[in-house]
This record gives sequence, structure tokens and C-alpha cells, in this order.
Amino acid sequence: MNTDQPILDCPTFNYYGEKPEGDIKSREIKKVPTSRVEKIRQLYFETKSSASVEFPYWYTRKWEELEGEIQIVRRAEALKSGFEHLTPAIFPGELLVMGKAQYMRGSYPMPWLSEAFFMAKEDEIYKEAMEAGRTSADEVTTMGQGGGNVTKSIGKVLSVAGKFGLRVEEMPVLLNIAKKWFNKSVDDIGHKYEQMVPGYKEKEEIMRAVICMFDSGYTLPQGREVMNYYYPLQYGIEGIKKICSEKIEQTAGYPDMDRIYFYKAVFIMLEGLQSWIKNYAKEARLMASLESNEDNKKEYLDTAERLDWLTQNPPRNFHDALQLVWTFHLAVLNEDAISGLSPGRLGQVLYPFWKRDMDNGTLTREKSIELLECMRMKFTELDCFASMGVVGGVLSGNTFNNLCIGGLTKDGESAANELEMLILESGMSCDTPQPTLSLLFDEKLPEEFLLKGVECTKIGTGYPAWISNRVAMEFLLNNYKNEGIDVEEARAWSIGGCLETSAGSWMPLELDGVTHFIPGGSAPATSVGVHFISLPKVLEAVLYDGLDKRTGRRVYPPHGNKLETYDDIWNTFKNYLKMTVDVLTLTNNIQHDVWGKISPSIINSMLKPDCLEVGKDISHQGCRYNRTFNVEICGGVNLVNSLASIKKNVFEKKNFTLDTLRQAIEENFGYISALETGAYSLTEQVKTTNYQNFLKIHKQCLDAPKFGNDDKYVDSIFKEWQEWFSSMCENYMSLYGKPMYSCQISVSTHAPMGAVTLATPDGRLCGTTFADGSVSAYPGSDKNGPYALFSSASCYNHALSQNSQLNMKIHPTAVQGREGARKFLEMIKAYLRKGGFHIQFNIVDSRMLKEAQKNPAQYRNLMVRVAGFTQYWVELGKQIQDEVVARTEYEEI
Amino acid sequence: MNHIDCKYFLAVDVFKGLCKRTKESISADEAACADFDKTPKCKHCKDFLATAEYLGMCKNKAIAYPDMRAENCKDFSWN
Repeated sequence: MNTDQPILDCPTFNYYGEKPEGDIKSREIKKVPTSRVEKIRQLYFETKSSASVEFPYWYTRKWEELEGEIQIVRRAEALKSGFEHLTPAIFPGELLVMGKAQYMRGSYPMPWLSEAFFMAKEDEIYKEAMEAGRTSADEVTTMGQGGGNVTKSIGKVLSVAGKFGLRVEEMPVLLNIAKKWFNKSVDDIGHKYEQMVPGYKEKEEIMRAVICMFDSGYTLPQGREVMNYYYPLQYGIEGIKKICSEKIEQTAGYPDMDRIYFYKAVFIMLEGLQSWIKNYAKEARLMASLESNEDNKKEYLDTAERLDWLTQNPPRNFHDALQLVWTFHLAVLNEDAISGLSPGRLGQVLYPFWKRDMDNGTLTREKSIELLECMRMKFTELDCFASMGVVGGVLSGNTFNNLCIGGLTKDGESAANELEMLILESGMSCDTPQPTLSLLFDEKLPEEFLLKGVECTKIGTGYPAWISNRVAMEFLLNNYKNEGIDVEEARAWSIGGCLETSAGSWMPLELDGVTHFIPGGSAPATSVGVHFISLPKVLEAVLYDGLDKRTGRRVYPPHGNKLETYDDIWNTFKNYLKMTVDVLTLTNNIQHDVWGKISPSIINSMLKPDCLEVGKDISHQGCRYNRTFNVEICGGVNLVNSLASIKKNVFEKKNFTLDTLRQAIEENFGYISALETGAYSLTEQVKTTNYQNFLKIHKQCLDAPKFGNDDKYVDSIFKEWQEWFSSMCENYMSLYGKPMYSCQISVSTHAPMGAVTLATPDGRLCGTTFADGSVSAYPGSDKNGPYALFSSASCYNHALSQNSQLNMKIHPTAVQGREGARKFLEMIKAYLRKGGFHIQFNIVDSRMLKEAQKNPAQYRNLMVRVAGFTQYWVELGKQIQDEVVARTEYEEI
Repeated sequence: MNHIDCKYFLAVDVFKGLCKRTKESISADEAACADFDKTPKCKHCKDFLATAEYLGMCKNKAIAYPDMRAENCKDFSWN
């Protein structure tokens, strides 16, 4: 090969091992759900995301009536009004009932958080929001064009944000309600006060440049946390109301008066939930009265009886407990715009009920699986109404309900149980995006359980993710020691959202005179703080003296540095990153403070230890653990690969100067921008006629050392970056006066952030996605096999950060059969034992993904793992689809 | 009257739903059948006054809209 004019191979995908030929290989294991759940699933596939005005209408109406009331009580009454008026909907065959709104995939806007995004584009208010840079992320986000997304307005339905359908007859009242919140929403008031932060204008430029993905205080103020179902399971709703009444008597008139308002708010809220549940019971009786089939009639009547019972009492059995858990999960989801509300270690929470029913013969294995499948459908039907930049650009339409299995008990023994084996089984038979599963790996877990986890992973849905219990506990013990966490309590942890290590507690559930210590979340939302900083874009700003080359706008003050050494580049990068975190920390703290003042959490606060004990809601640090604010980043591997390229090419080998590199970047190495071609992976880029002029420099950039190959040159840069970044985060204080920490998950941000970033010094082209996760190799650059990738990924201590995220794509034949399963498990263990925190898999033939892009209708049920979540292929934006296709496919392990 | 106005309409999404009686799939905006039974909505309430297309007032105090479901409104009263 003539090295002066290398030919860049552009296969349709990258692979390690022998390129697959012949027929497209399907995933090995296929199971089917029970017939009732399959009918529900088929109905779900035909269902579109639907927004409703019901809840925000009644919320706003009550809110206005109570002007002058104590804020938290006013909010409770408004929420109660919303719940009381929700139209119930029970779909045929459901064994678990209730939903966020009256549609199967229903959600609703919450203008008290932010009203700007769904106002008509012609509206003056919306135009102002656009100019402030608060909607820049929306502009570079593409939604998936299939599945449940309502991508265009049609007939009497309007498309909102390219995803949600809204009835045309509801739009005028929605606009009317939205305008009532103008200058009163968390967004607006937060915006007013965040401008007091010195350097605020820089924040606006940072957002406009999409260096930061979105604000946190009003977009998704709760979530990325773990639910705690203890109080309803132990006391029932009336029991909790009784606690509130007693607490009011004990505290009324005494100092720390906010406590009585909190208890009053909880009491009011619970009344609202009781009305909501009763309405569903009434609906179940109506459905029974219309039913001619006797079995179906009995089911509806059983549902009504169960709901009536649960309006007052703790659960009597597993089915009751599951319904109550589901009801409270929804209740929290309806109090705020929330993604990442994880059920936690639900199999361990419900085990005492399940075991009792199994022992006394009132429940069978088959019925358990059917109920768990019903549960999977309910979680999958969840939708979250937020702006396009959030829903599409970050979440890819996902809601991130993470159910964890495994881990350790309070006493340090294996916490895996038979119910969790059935949770895995139902995850295979009813493969849906929610809840996603995470297996908390520990050496104490039985092999049979781990092999079941592998079997489930081979289904190809991307769950369970495999997560190191030891690394998580080390992180928690380091970061929560000042709040009193000990080893026993650290064992109660779980994953919030897609991958946020979250502190938990053991709560004493009493059943038949026996105390069972069940784990549950005891910390509030994480991934609040600083959201998703695009590291390659900050590096771009370094090369261009603080400018955003895409828009020509100045983001940072000129650094004036001649950048004559590698250390100049690295130090200037660190300075720009610090400036970014400086201003974003302060502005987001204000937003969260405003959220706590205007729109405090009531139901979630009631559930989280120790809010009910101490009489303080989450925003007053009622939780047991409060150090949850973090700094999220994206594109770390591209950053490090780029630094390695600059160090090697510019400063060591002197292959070219920085000026030459800048020119090549501006010319996109001779390729057409991905934004013009609509192809976002590196493997499908289109050359210009200018291409030859940049061949050599492009190859030199591509050939520079790349992360993921156990190459000390680049891995040492990675290690230095990780250690510096984690240490830097500790210098920043959250709203609650607690140091922040680093969080390294990309979710889907690597797509829109890549879209606004020029070509990078590592050879990546303009507009294409970054590497996903935080320790995933850039597609095609991991050439030395999985164990080399693991060595690179574990070159630093993962417990320094809240998480790390590694995605691998494996061809189905590489893990086929029992032999394949055992090799697969050994490979997973090898990585976690090396110190890796997390690993997750796509088991798929990439050619199937390419086929699915061409013929999406034939692949409605196809799911892939993106970064911490599983989503239906057809509902992913093309940027993410291209990125998943381009990931290196391992043909052998 | 369309299916969406019937008390036996179970909305699945903004386009369509199921008939609670027959469990068949029906379009929200197609004409209802002979078993149609009006569902409580603001537009059927004696306290609702239309003020514009898709807008009105409830008891002269609060904005409302004609097609809002009212089964759970304790003040609903057929006009």
C-alpha cells in the first residue's frame, strides 16, 4: 500500500475477528410472554405517545385558587386536584392497573416547571427562549421516526416535539395554562435569579454552543434515584396518614415550624392518591359490568376489590404488594418531570410477600411470571414529557426504570433470590425496554444466578447490565462517610436512572411477626448539578482561542496561549473546563433552589428515609444522604484520543503543526459534513473532491494511539484525565453544601453533541457521534480484542467516579451455546475483577441493524442497548442508530 | 357524535381507542354506533359557557375547554 495515499476502508461496520458472511444471524434465545401479555404488547406497539392536558389543567386551577397559602400546602392541594380528576383507563387483560394519564403511553406537560418549550413557535415568549440559548439542544436533536413517536401533525392530532400527540381541542387551553405560568415557573424564576451569577453570559454561550446539554433545575428535577416503597408496604396509606396526624400534634407550634406544613402536605397528597385509586376501582367495576366473559368479569372485580383494599391498608399478598408499588411509582412520576426513577432491588423488596404466597400455595411460578410480565408492560408504557433536546437528545425517549438484582444483604451474604430468577425469566419472555435490569455482581452470588443473567443477556436486549458491587460500595463509603454511611448501609445501594450509584438503606418490613430488612433508596435525585459537558467541544474551544467555530460566537475569554507544548494544550483545556463547571454549578444550584421553593417534592419526600421522621422534604435535606449533585461529561474517549494525537503528531513526531491541524479540522479532513449527508457514523462518510489533500494528515490522526488497545501511551493520558477530573469535581459545592463528584455516562448525548462539534484531532469527522459511554472505545479503534479493551478501561480506579460505562457489541455466534455462555461469564467476571464498574452488551449481528434501518416496519420489536438503556430501534434517532451500527462487533471473545 | 364523546370509549392514544363493551379497536374521530351513550364533558355541563373555539369558562370563574372529561368533577351537572 502506498502510505502517501492510503485508501480508507469504509466497511458498513467495524468488527474484531473474522468478518461475518452468509445469512444474518439472529439472537440465540427467543422466548414468548403469556398470551394475555402478548395481546397487551401488540396493543402497545400500535400505540402512539400521547400528551394530555387533564392533570396540568386541574393542578393550575387549584393552584390559582389558593394564592397566599403556604407554598408546600398549595402544591399538595394542586397535586391532589390533578390526581382526583385523572380519567382512569384499564386496558383488557391487565393484572396491574393505573397509569400516568388516561392513555396507554400517556404523559403531560408540567408548565409549573417550564412552559416555554411547548408554546407555539410563533409565540413571542418562545422566540425569547430561543435567543437565550435555552433551546439550542432541541435544534440539534433528531427523534426516531418510527414506533410510538407522533412525528407529524395529522387530522385532529398535533405533533409536539416530534414525539407526542396532542388533541387539537386541547391546545388552546394548554397555551392558556402555559401563559399563566409565564414568569412563575421554575424555569422562568430560576432564569431570573441565575443571571445574578457572575459570568452568567458565559453560561448562555456555553448552552448555545451545546457544550452543556441542558439545565437540570427545571427539565428533570427529580429522578436518577432509587424509589423506596417501605412506608406504603409497611403501613398502608391510612397508616401513613396516621403518622402524619401524630407528627402534626407533636410539632404544631414548636420551633422548626416547616415540619407541620410538610406533614400537612403529605396528608393532603395521600388523600388525593386515595381518590385516584378509588376512581380506578370504580372503573374496574364498570368494566366488570360490561363484561360477558365470566373469568374476565371476575378479574375486573378482583382488581376493584384490591384497589379498594389498598386505598386504606398495607398489602395482603404479592399481587397487592406489586400493585401498591406500582401505584406509588406512578404517584412520584406524576409530581415532577422525571426520568430515571428506578424501582431498585424490587425482587428483594417484594420477596417476603412472594415467598409467603408460594409457601402457602396461593401463588405459582407461572402466575408470578405472568404478573412480572404485566409489570414489565406497565413500566414500558411510561412516557416522560419534556423538551425535544431532553427527550430525544438525551433520553432517546427512554424513561430509565432500573431494576437491580443481586448484590449483598445487610449481613454481607448473597442477596439473590428465586424471585429475582423469575424477574430474569420474565425479562426474557417479555423483552421490553422497561424495566431495564442491572445485576450487581459480587463473588458471593451463586453461579446458577450468574448463568441465568448470562442467558438473559444473550436475548440481546442489553440487560442485565453487569455492575461491580465492590466498586460501588467503595464509592459510597468514600463519598457518604461524612453523612454516616457504614459498610452495612453501603450494601443497600442500587442504581438510579441508567447508571447512577445511589445510596440506600435497610428498612424493617414486618410480615407475620418476622422482620425483613428490605433495601430502598434514601438519597434524592442525582445527575442534578452540571449536565453533560461536551469534552471534545471544550478542546475545540482551546484550539480556537475560546470560540465556537460552528457559530463564530465567543464562548470563553481568549486564552491568548500560543499552545507551544502539549502541557499548554492540557492546562488550557483544564482551565476552560473549570470555567464551564464554575458557572454551571452556580446556575444549576439556583435552579434547584427555586425548584425546591416553588415545586417541592411531596410524595417522593414522604417515601425517602428520613424525611417522614424528621418532617423535612427533599429540598430541605430530609433524606438520610444528600451528597448527590454531580458533574456529568460526554466524549471523554474522543478527548483523550485527540490529546494523544496532538501529543504524538504535533509535539513529538512533528508530523504537522497546530495550524495545519486546524485547517484540516475546518475542512473536515476532506469529507462532507455528516449533518449534510445524514449519515452519522465514521464508516459511512462521503468524500469531497478535496479529499486527497487531507489523506495523509487524516491517516496520521487515525493512526495515533487510541484508547481501548492496552496502549500505555494513550491510557496514561486517560488515567491522568480521570484522576484530575474526579479530584476537580470535589472543589464544587452543591446547593446543599456538599462536594460534587464525577459522573460518566453518555446516555444519548454523544449524538447531538457530536452533531455540533467539528472534526477532532483523533480523526473523527464533523457531525458524527462521539464514542458512547465513558470507557467504550471509539468504534473501530479497538483492534486488540476484549481483554486489551478491559486493560485500558480499568487503567484507573473506577470508584473515583459515580460510575463508568462500557458497551460492547458481540456477534451472537461468539457466545452461542453452553460453552459460549461460560466463556461469556468468565469474560464479564474478568473485567469486573480487574476493577471495572460496569459493562453491558448488544448481542446482535450488525447487518440486522442495517437491514432494520432500511425496513423498520419489519423490525418493530428489535431492541438495542445504547448507553445504559435499552430502546426500540425504530424509536431511536438516526444519529444513535448509526453510532450503534458502527460500534466494533466482536466476532470472538 | 363520535366515539370520543361516548362513555364507553377507552382511549388508547390520541388517535384511537377501544370500545369498553366490545373491546374492538375504534377511531376516536369516527361516528359512534347505535349504543352511543354521552360521556360527561364540560360542554354538557350547565356551568360551562363557550367563549371561543375549544375554550370556555367554568362557573364564570375558571377557564375550561369543552371536551374535557368530567366524570370525576364533583361539580358537573348535565345541562
